[in-house]
This record gives sequence, C-alpha cells and structure tokens, in this order.
Amino acid sequence: MEKKAGVSFYLFLIVFVFVIMFPFLWVFLSSFKPPTELYGSQAFNWIADHPTLNNYVSVFVDYPFLNYLKNSFIIAASTTIISVLFASFAAYALARLRFRGKSVILGLTLSVTMFPQISTLSPIYIILMHLGLTNSYTGLIIPYITITLPLSIWILVTFFRKIPQELEESAKMDGATLMQTYRKIIFPLAVPGIFTTAILAFIAAWNEYLFALTINTDEAYKTVPVGISMFSGQYSVPWGEICAATVVVTVPLVILVLIFQRRIVSGLTSGSVKE
Amino acid sequence: MKAQKKLHKKSDWKAAYLLMSPALILIFVIAIYPVLQSMYFSLFDYKLNDPTKASTTRHYSLDLNRYLDNAPFLMADLKNDATKASGEPKATLTKINQQLTTIDNEIRKESGDRYNKVNDILNNYKTPSEKLSIVTISKSTAEAIQKATDQVTKQLKALNQNTKVLSNAKKDIGLASGLEDTLNKPNFIGLKHYAHFLKDSRMWAAILHTVVFTVISVAIEFVLGLAIALLINKAFFGRGLIRAAVLVPWAIPTAVSAMMWKYLYDGQSGIIAKFFEKIGLIHNMGTLLTTGDGAMFSVILTDVWKTTPYMALLLLAGLQVIPKSLYEAAAIDGANKWKQFLNITLPLLKLSILVSLLFRTLDAFRVFDLISVLTGGGPANSTETISIYAYKVMFSETDFGSGSALSVIVFICVAIISAIFVKLLGSDLLPEGSKK
Repeated sequence: MEKKAGVSFYLFLIVFVFVIMFPFLWVFLSSFKPPTELYGSQAFNWIADHPTLNNYVSVFVDYPFLNYLKNSFIIAASTTIISVLFASFAAYALARLRFRGKSVILGLTLSVTMFPQISTLSPIYIILMHLGLTNSYTGLIIPYITITLPLSIWILVTFFRKIPQELEESAKMDGATLMQTYRKIIFPLAVPGIFTTAILAFIAAWNEYLFALTINTDEAYKTVPVGISMFSGQYSVPWGEICAATVVVTVPLVILVLIFQRRIVSGLTSGSVKE
Repeated sequence: MKAQKKLHKKSDWKAAYLLMSPALILIFVIAIYPVLQSMYFSLFDYKLNDPTKASTTRHYSLDLNRYLDNAPFLMADLKNDATKASGEPKATLTKINQQLTTIDNEIRKESGDRYNKVNDILNNYKTPSEKLSIVTISKSTAEAIQKATDQVTKQLKALNQNTKVLSNAKKDIGLASGLEDTLNKPNFIGLKHYAHFLKDSRMWAAILHTVVFTVISVAIEFVLGLAIALLINKAFFGRGLIRAAVLVPWAIPTAVSAMMWKYLYDGQSGIIAKFFEKIGLIHNMGTLLTTGDGAMFSVILTDVWKTTPYMALLLLAGLQVIPKSLYEAAAIDGANKWKQFLNITLPLLKLSILVSLLFRTLDAFRVFDLISVLTGGGPANSTETISIYAYKVMFSETDFGSGSALSVIVFICVAIISAIFVKLLGSDLLPEGSKK
C-alpha cells in the first residue's frame, strides 16, 4: 500500500477536505457578520462587508457561556479520570490474568456499552432527584461513568493485549510480582493506549446531551451542548451568536485533534508486535 | 480454550477480581440496576405530576389519618340513630354498623399499634406523619372498604328519602362516600403499557423512522468510511492534516453540530438549503426542515457528515494492524491492488468491519441529540424516533410508567440487533486474547 500519491490524488484530497470542513468554514465566516448580513439578501455572501466581533462579545456577555465551558470541563475531566483509572485495572486483569468467568465479564462490559441511554434515564433521574443531586456536577459524573467506563475497559483490553506477552513473562521469570510487572512493564507500554482512551472518554463525556438536558436544567450547571442548543433570541434565532459559540467550542478541538491525532495513531500502532 | 491454559499456569482469580471490582460495582450500580428498574417502572401507572401515582406501589394502603377522621364519626352517628329508630330502619342501621365494625376490626388487626398511635395523635389535635399514618392493608380489606363505600352510601340515601331516622343525613352520606378516598390503590398495571403501545400508531411510526434513519445512514457511512480509511492509510504529504480534518466533525458535540446544520439548512438564510435549491434538489429552501422527507434527509445527511469520520477511524485502526509485509509478499507474487484488497484487507478487516457496524448501528438506533436539536422530532412527528418519543412521554408528559415502557422497547430492539451481530461475529467479538 506504500505508494507515492499523484496530483489527482491531492486534488481529490482538497475537494474532500473542503466538503468536510465547509460547514465549519461557513459558520466561522458567519460568526463575523452583523445581524443585517446574517438575514436577508446578504445572507449568502462569503465575507462580511462590515465584519464585527459583536457576536463573540454577546456570547460571553449575554449568555453564561463561560460558565457552560467550565461546567463541561469539570464534568468531563472528572469522568475521564475516574473511568480510565478503574478501567485500566479491570482491563489489565481481563487482558492478562487467568481466571474463570472472563468471557462472561467481557461480554457483560460489551453489552453495557450497547445499552441505550434512554433505558437508564428514568431510574437514574429518580435516584438523583431523591439524593438531591440533580443540578450538580456529581449528578452528571455518575451517569457519564456508565457511558465511559465500559468503553474504556473495552478499548484498554485491546491495548493491553497488543503489548508483547514475552516481556511480561520474562519479568515474571525474573521474579517480579504482579504489581511490579504492571508498573514497570505494562503501564509504560500502555501509556499511549491509556492516553487515547482518556481522549475518547473525555470527548464522550464532553459531548453527552441526553443526561445533561435532563439532569442539569439549572442555568448554573448546564453544559456546553445543552447551553448552545438552547440559545434563543428575542425575535429570531440568534445565528450570529450560535456561530460564534460554535467557533469558540470548535477551535480548541481542532487544535487538540491536530496535536493528538499523531498520538492517537501512534497509540494505536505502538502496542502491536512488529512482525 | 481456557482449559488448555490452566494446565501450565495457576489461576489469578483473586487478584483479577480485586482489580476488576471497582469497575464491576460501578457498572452494576449505574448501568445494570437502572435498566432493571426501568423494566420495573414500566409495569406501573407511574406519573410524577399525579400525587396518587407519584411512586410505584404494588399494595393497597390506607391513610389512617383520613380514615380515623371519617369512620369513627360515621359509626358513632349511625349507632346513635339506631338506638332512636325502630323496625326496619333500625335493623338496616345496625347491619351497616356491623359491616363497618368488621372492617374497622380488620384494619386494627392489620395496622397493629399504629392504629392507636395515630388515634392518640389525632385526639391531641396534631397531624401524624405520613410514614406513621399510611399502612399497608390486605386486598380483601381494601375491597371490603370499596364495597362498603358503595353499599352504605346507597343505603343511607334510601333511608334518608323514605324515613327521618338520620339526624345528620348530609354529613353521614358525605362521610360514607368519602370512605374509599382513604385508600391508596396500587398502580401496578402489569403489561398494560406494552399492550397499549403495540396498538399505538405513533410508536410504530417512531420505530419506522428509527429503522429508516439507521439503515440508510449506517450504509452510507460504512461505504464512505471504508473508502476514506483505505485512502488515508498510506504515505502522502499532509496525512496528519487530513486525519485531523476527518476527526473534527466526529469530535465536536452532536448537539453543537446539529445547531450548526440547523443554520445551514435554514429556510431563509441557510447556505446548504440555498445550494440544494440552486442545483434543483429541492423546490424551495423551506422544504428541508418543513417537510417530513426533507427533514429526514437533513437528519441523515448531518449524521453521515458527522459520523463517517468515526467509521473511518475504526476501520483505519483495523487496517493499520495488518502487517505491511503481507502486502509486500502479495505484490511480489504479482497480486494487483484489487486482489490484495479482496484477499488480504477484507478477511483481516472483517472483525473491524463488523465491530464498527455493530457500534454504529446501535448508536444510530438510539439517536437522540441530533434529532432533538435539529428537528425536535418534527415536522408533525415525521422524524420522531423511538428515543425521542420515550423522552417526550417521560419528561414532557411526566409519565414515567409508559415512558419507561418505551425505553424498554428501545432496549429490546437494541438487544435483538446485538444478538444478530453477535451471531455473525461469534466468539470473535471478544478481544483476541480470550483465545490466545
């Protein structure tokens, strides 16, 4: 499959990237348009005649957008740390140790990743309501673990499996204990995998909508997805602010993805034994 | 496969379960238990906004507070009137009193010392706590109370019309007819919600929308995703950039991208709507979000744009673990690209393909965010999927009983889809190591 690409290939790539990125590009350009150019005849011009930053100012002044960002970050980061930590223990056991019932537990984990969130929503809502945890960070972290923990276990088992067993066995032969083997041999080799898992778990928690919509209805605890979806203006849909908010959420993500895509890919490949 | 392993290594089950316990406990408490609870809720007429149905109860219960404010006064009045009356009315009144006393004795027996406790509190003109005053009673007693309510009310009304024996007729008839209100009936209704939904055309329409959305979007995403994965799984300048570009739509929140596309599809200022109108795909810009077909098309297009990269990412991961040496060897043997694809890529990618199809199908089947934000299930429920329907029933109508029944239906559908894939995949679904 290693073959140098030709000119037509690059032309195709340019078109391809344009199609994927067009919505972002258009939203980015629109975010600088004043209201008069967002609606009516000028709505389809590429570049604003009178570019303005008002939409961005409005997002942070008229809407508690900064607070949404803070809430989303705290909730997603806590969820990620908890689920990746517990998942790495479980995944190590599942990938390396010998015990009965392994396939049952793997099957169970897999089926839990397939659970429709709507099927757990009403009991979780009732329980959180009784515990007084609706409209709190904990109230969202708890259900988010349902989503990210099985996912993390699943990804990590695959990663741990790709680490050559020979290294571990020679460590055992040299008399290393289970924890020593994990710390000195497995963990360093699994770092790219754990990192990838953390990114995926973070994104899953950051993007979640259904629980966030249901459990944190208070303005002070809303997350970014729910916040943006509820932007509403006095007379019409505030497209300018929506575009600006989308840009604010997307730009850091683009940067993160640009940096981390290499790590994701190296994480996906470095664990496997070169044959 | 494990049996062979056990021969040369002892089991590490203690360490294994210790390592797995936090994860397993969490999974049980916040994933498995809620699903079972949903199933349980679905068997009740459970409505949060209706005080008599705001919890799930399988038993009859009696509010002693209200009962003791009623029955003793009624019985005292009737007893009084009976001593003054004679003949047939006296016999009737005595009989009624006997009936009520029998019930009262039964209640005393079933509620134990709480009957007297509540009575004492009431005699001191205080209000007993709900916890103390609401007692579970047997079905037979509850039925006796219901029966007595009807009978006694009727008899008292008849007496009042024909004779003058009742000194407080109005009050007593009121008390008698109010007896039943001291009861809390169980809201367990068995499978009635399911029976209702099986005949509910809105439910079947929602299932149809879900299936249409799932099949079309997953099919398109798979073909495009595989093409992209094959394309970017080679060395070319700017590969990282392409990968990042492909990842971005997947990485942003679905609700945010739905909002973004809502703007692009907008009937007045949406550029995509304008573009589709220009190329003649639609008659006018409004068609996209105001007609049923237009809305379904819009939702599918957005999903394809958003999740094709995810599909590509999964397949790319599968492609990258295929050793390059295989292709080199095949090339030396004179196999062309197509042959290499058929004989090396596809067989080795089968697992990744099935797994990514499984995950995407299930994701698509439980779709919520995208549709909730982009169309809200409209126009006229034309894009309402089963999850959206369940959500609306639960949180707009606060009907947790039937909403839970719908969510259990989603669960059953998902289980069936998974079962089909598991059948196709067999034990391959579990990570390779179970066999290693």
